[in-house]
Amino acid sequence: MVQIRPADRILYLVPRRTLLAVAFRCWCTNMASGYILNRGAITLKSHCQRVFRNVSLSQVREKKRWMKAYTHIMAKKLKLEGPPPPKPRSQQPLWDYHAEVQAFSNRLHESFSLELLKIAFINPCYLQVEQERRKGLGIDSETTALLLKDNMQLSAKGADFTKSFLNDWCRASFPSLPSKGVESIVGHLTSSAVVTYVARNLGIEDLTMSGEFPVPDDVLHSTFMAVIGALQESSGAERAGFFLRDFLVTQLLGKDLFDMWTVVNPMGILVEELTKRNVPLPEPRLIRSAGASTVLPLYFVGLYSDKKLLAQGPGETLLAAEEEAARVALRKIYGFSENRRPFDFSPQQQHQQPLFQSISSN
Amino acid sequence: MTSRGTPSRFLRSVLQNGLGRYVCQLKRISIIFSKTHPSSLGVREYIEEGVVDYAKKNPGTVVYVSPQTSTVPKIVAEYLNGNVREEIVICKTPQQISELFTKLTSQSGLDIIRIRKPIHTDSPSIQGQWHPFTNRPPSIGPIKPQKQLNQS
Repeated sequence: MVQIRPADRILYLVPRRTLLAVAFRCWCTNMASGYILNRGAITLKSHCQRVFRNVSLSQVREKKRWMKAYTHIMAKKLKLEGPPPPKPRSQQPLWDYHAEVQAFSNRLHESFSLELLKIAFINPCYLQVEQERRKGLGIDSETTALLLKDNMQLSAKGADFTKSFLNDWCRASFPSLPSKGVESIVGHLTSSAVVTYVARNLGIEDLTMSGEFPVPDDVLHSTFMAVIGALQESSGAERAGFFLRDFLVTQLLGKDLFDMWTVVNPMGILVEELTKRNVPLPEPRLIRSAGASTVLPLYFVGLYSDKKLLAQGPGETLLAAEEEAARVALRKIYGFSENRRPFDFSPQQQHQQPLFQSISSN
Repeated sequence: MTSRGTPSRFLRSVLQNGLGRYVCQLKRISIIFSKTHPSSLGVREYIEEGVVDYAKKNPGTVVYVSPQTSTVPKIVAEYLNGNVREEIVICKTPQQISELFTKLTSQSGLDIIRIRKPIHTDSPSIQGQWHPFTNRPPSIGPIKPQKQLNQS
């Protein structure tokens, strides 16, 4: 009955009241865990009375006076040790891995092959940790071999596909954008921050088999790519493309081109673009100014090419205004202005119909 | 406390949901109840009548049913963005529980706090923000102070 858990270790740091605290803790554990057996209660009673005589141990339904000391000790323990480390959802009660994977596939309206999807969630770091754990437990590696594939292949495939799809998509949506701009947009969309954000909000983190918890960003990134690889293998490149369009490209909403593409000298690029198109070079002119002698001056610079206004931009200094005007002109040329036509995210009609049937027949 | 002091947020959806395709945000729902206690009578009835239909209708949600001894009957809903909501269902009828299930399924899992406006847009102005120079033709020639412009 009397047991000292590892959690009680902290009590030894409290020298003056150690004995009292241990007695209280043991007693409280039993009280809290339910009704104790009669015999057990007698032995405990005698034990505790030897330790501390003033405590009455008769069990009656009354005000729980032990509760205050118990909560006090637990609060102290929490303050010293900090909150317990987070536990993966798969180690908490109520978890059925197969059902979760199936629901993941259904939720996203995709028909994954479940074997491939399960492989996609197994990371090499998980396999390594699991092997070591089994070795530590003394399990024979031959009789219970860990016959699991890892997602390295799927991940590489998915990453390749994602890159090529996003490249094609960018070139189709922004035909006049140079390859550097396309690269930077693709780089932004496949960056660790965006992909892990999407993966966390799609519930991939729960299903990921990772060596450590919380799941590191690079592991989550490769898992997401592996899921895309699995989708491409199980239902074709077109469906995988729609998946990427619906979940990754939507992150481009409300983003400015130059947030993703760091351009140091926009004027130089503008001059290059205009010479390519055989348009006269831009001529910056100050078109408006206000409060030039105050701490908050405002200048508007317009860029004229062949006496026609290309773009105008505001700024606190003339140089800043000129740079801003060049950026506005570049956005107009590349078709990435704020009032551009919205992207097309309409669902694919041919694929939706059999999908709804399969859901209703489930 | 006045409404200005309460936490608030703008109207938004998780991961631009609905822009591409709609994804039900409820990933897991577990019913915790007692097999014998009268307060979970309605939950037991709902489990007999409605849970299977619910699970069939929502293949993207995992439903766990877990009888436990002497506990408060509750429904724990976990959402895709990691939020968890617990609803206590003491002495509720199956009809009420069914309504609660529908409500939990249709929610996005974002915190339920005051929403500042019933509409929201990421780009507030399509034509660009207004400033004192909006819709004024660019001045030709050297720029002068406002007074001299009016006189001339």
